[in-house]
Amino acid sequence: MGIQEQYRNEAAELLSSGAVKLVIGYGEGSTSDRRRPVFIRSADETARLVLDANCIANLSGYLVPEGLLSDGKSVAVFLKPDGIRSVNILAAEAQVNPDQVVILGFDIDGGQASPLPGRKATDFAPLIESQKSTGLSTELQQEADQLELMSATDRFEYWNQQFSKCIKCYACRQVCPMCYCRRCIVDVNQPQWVNTSSHTLGNFEWNIVRAFHLAGRCVACGGCDRACPVNIPLRLINHRMSKEALDAFDHFAGESADQKPVLATFRQDDPETFIL
Amino acid sequence: MSEPFEPKIVAFVCTYCTYAGADLAGTSRMKYASNVRIVRLPCTGRISPMFILKALQKGADGVLVSGCHPGDCHFAQGNYHARRRWTVFRALLSFTGIPEERIKFSWISAAEGAKFAELINGVTEEIRSLGPFEQYQELQKIIETQSTY
Ligand code: SF4
Ligand code: SF4
Repeated sequence: MGIQEQYRNEAAELLSSGAVKLVIGYGEGSTSDRRRPVFIRSADETARLVLDANCIANLSGYLVPEGLLSDGKSVAVFLKPDGIRSVNILAAEAQVNPDQVVILGFDIDGGQASPLPGRKATDFAPLIESQKSTGLSTELQQEADQLELMSATDRFEYWNQQFSKCIKCYACRQVCPMCYCRRCIVDVNQPQWVNTSSHTLGNFEWNIVRAFHLAGRCVACGGCDRACPVNIPLRLINHRMSKEALDAFDHFAGESADQKPVLATFRQDDPETFIL
Repeated sequence: MSEPFEPKIVAFVCTYCTYAGADLAGTSRMKYASNVRIVRLPCTGRISPMFILKALQKGADGVLVSGCHPGDCHFAQGNYHARRRWTVFRALLSFTGIPEERIKFSWISAAEGAKFAELINGVTEEIRSLGPFEQYQELQKIIETQSTY
């Protein structure tokens, strides 16, 4: 039995036993290699579920809409390790009750989806722990290093070019499971913190703010980077933030549901080499 | 000879320590560079990174953020939280090419009037030698020249 069959059966079982009221998974997309989220409410619909190496989107953001979990019932969701980390963050930030989230975990390796054993976010703690000790992506680090080698002027020019392409569509925000604020700072106009025009200045500010608000929260699911219609390498700026959180504060986003948000806590002996 | 460049520097300071330090510098008749515009806030914890961006947007050549030494915060923890935020924000600015030399952070207590005066002079000189932050100010100009839409 392939993984897709196995997970369809498990989803059907969860729904028919009443253990969950909803299964959030992947279905066919507009092309053969695209997947779109599907919301399955009864066991006989589970044949719509697809699970293969194209199921890359982080579905955890669909747990957040207001009212979904307020009846106390559980929801099952297909998640890769990055999504499981997002659930931990959402729980740590009091956005979801982790007891109401049943995880259908899987990972993609070598072009194949493989099952991950476990049901609750806590079951995956050893996996996340090992990810932390492996460290952040070395490929991204290499890309980021190239930028760090430039002079500040050249780096500014590089991002200036990148951000000048931004059309302020906010797809990067909409796709991100961690961007759940009902009023985003860019939508606030008293005061107007960020220029709303898609001139480079406003784009610069927007991209800085977006990255800052995701510092220590981004799980590198790559959703924003894929969603950006003008291919701004958002992954690099996110990676730089994750690296800072890890290096300075030993903070690996989404380690557990009890992890304190990195910028909402402190240690008295936090590093402060740059303060005069 | 051309006039020396006078940088615009915005200082965001907390009222309990650095502002009192600045006050002490003033009442002690210490002279310091007049390039700094001080914005007083209740606590460093209240100094949002947005303020720094706003200052740059409005044409600042440099920004100083300053508050109470660790352990001295009037609200006990505000400066510890601020310190974490600065660490991350500073890395972000640097990564996007905003020179670290233009954004300064310091701890200055109410008793450190002399340190305040020295710091302002030092920072002013450093930023004067860097020159105006043209790269950023250029972005604002683009908006002004295209303001028809
Ligand atoms: S910032 Fe991008 S990569 Fe990070 S969690 Fe959000 S969508 Fe995923
Ligand atoms: S997805 Fe890309 S173009 Fe759209 S707002 Fe984000 S950075 Fe700008």
